[in-house]
Amino acid sequence: MNHDDLAADLAAREAAAYSMGGVEKLERRRQQGLLNARERITYLLDDGTFLEEGLLATSSVVAEDRDTTPADGKVTGFGKVDGRAVGIASNDFTVKGASSSLTNMKKLGHVKRVATQRGLPLVFLGESSGARMPDNMGSRGMGDLLGNDPTQYIRFRETPWASAVLGQCFGSSAWYTCLSDFTVMRKGAVMAVASPVLASLAIGETVDPQQLGGWQLHAETTGLIDTFADTDEEALDLVRRFLSYMPSHHLEAPPTAAVPAGSDAAASRLPELVPDRRKRVYDVHRVLEAVVDTNSLFELKAQFGRTAVTALARLDGRVVGVVANNPLVKGGALDAHACEKITRFLVLCDSFNIPLLMFVDTPGFLIGMEGERQRAAGKIMNFMTALQLFSMPKLSVILRKSYGQAYLNMGGGRNSDEVTAWPTAEVSFMDPDYATKVVTWGKPEADDPEAQSVIRTQMERDASVWDMASTFAVQHVIRPSDTRRHLISLLDVHHDRRTGGIGRHAMANWPSTF
Amino acid sequence: MARHEILSEVTGTVWQIEVAVGDSVSSGDDVLILESMKMEIPALAPCDGIIVELTVASGQTVEEGQLLAIVED
Repeated sequence: MNHDDLAADLAAREAAAYSMGGVEKLERRRQQGLLNARERITYLLDDGTFLEEGLLATSSVVAEDRDTTPADGKVTGFGKVDGRAVGIASNDFTVKGASSSLTNMKKLGHVKRVATQRGLPLVFLGESSGARMPDNMGSRGMGDLLGNDPTQYIRFRETPWASAVLGQCFGSSAWYTCLSDFTVMRKGAVMAVASPVLASLAIGETVDPQQLGGWQLHAETTGLIDTFADTDEEALDLVRRFLSYMPSHHLEAPPTAAVPAGSDAAASRLPELVPDRRKRVYDVHRVLEAVVDTNSLFELKAQFGRTAVTALARLDGRVVGVVANNPLVKGGALDAHACEKITRFLVLCDSFNIPLLMFVDTPGFLIGMEGERQRAAGKIMNFMTALQLFSMPKLSVILRKSYGQAYLNMGGGRNSDEVTAWPTAEVSFMDPDYATKVVTWGKPEADDPEAQSVIRTQMERDASVWDMASTFAVQHVIRPSDTRRHLISLLDVHHDRRTGGIGRHAMANWPSTF
Repeated sequence: MARHEILSEVTGTVWQIEVAVGDSVSSGDDVLILESMKMEIPALAPCDGIIVELTVASGQTVEEGQLLAIVED
């Protein structure tokens, strides 16, 4: 064969690979408003930057599948997002449901390995049916295809992983989603251990796909996803947005951005955003938006563990992680889900060199039977351990209440590098109302409202910020409207010039769920 | 006309009821205020509509998830 013939052969093979699962299947997706695996890559990556790995790869287990498995159902390679290189794996559901088999697992392994060794974030676009059948069947199938990579499901968080659940995600798509640092799910997609059909067979009753693994379940109940979207395009925009806060790898500081005009002006609204009446609730999102750079607040898991807010943001152009109690939900009392959410967020921020801002207004941990059933005590300690291992600058601001063990979890004492308080701050072991009852239990004062009132008033006074300031337990008491400027100055002081702002990453191999 | 249930998000005590049956409410209005963890926690109208049922009284203890009121839009 001469060069021209070989070139024609290559072109024909390329065309076959690009044809994916065929015109009919692709058209059906188009009619459903879904992008296909290659369109998703094109949409996410900067124009013309996709460098594909394994375009001509096909099934190598079942001989008859060789001509019907373009790219073996997983499109992989490298490209750029907002000018920065990433690795990408996009499942092509039109080719055998993007099921995992011998060749495509080699492709995926290669992209993972290169991204890890060269310091590139990884993006998984999930839509796959699980292990390919019959390839994985029998002891030969198991022996040849499964378990041959002893690092397949380890995370050391050398580089950030972002994942989008864009269709049915069972098996590896679900596993990689749960290992990722960020997950967005398109409404209508399903993520579960096994398909509804298989689940129905196993338990003998019909399982509804959305109840088994829909966006609402994962956003509100399991917390396995960070956010959700109406369309493929919107989901991919959110992947791009997440990556804009991330360094390319763990030995790099996150990218800075220009500070939007007007970012300083919003802070003047802060005094009116927090009610001075100590029992009144408010939405802490408005406080956070007035502190960070305009439109930079990117909340994760907004529907899960809602008594706290976890968000990436920018402060004076630098990426920060924000943890805040939200009094609007359950008075801001931290529950088991909120603890779990915060723990995961601390792991993310510490692993990728992101300083932490904590905004404190909590009456304590939500106590009661439900919390104990959800293993609240264990989750409180996971959160506490994560906070103490956190090696990036951590700055806390007590807006109003900080009580009991939650005082420690929210950065009280030496659990943050600097504790700042507003004059409205109150700190004590227990709310004065409860504490008065506890200390007068079984004593004559217990039945004397006047004596109780005297004790309560003294306790309220003792909880004020001034004693904290005089004992240096808070380092700064500031006017609310100075919060933004103050945090910018503190962040600059605490930037570790010795390491260039790179943390110790002691939680890099912690799991993504707790 | 759809009926929307307002459920308690916490275990606590009904501290103050802000509406009466037959009142119109707008989405986000306080329907009643619960006290829990020494905080006043409002139960909000989920939509614009009319309060057609109040299932609790002031001072009553409620469980998380308990029905508080029904709004019809």
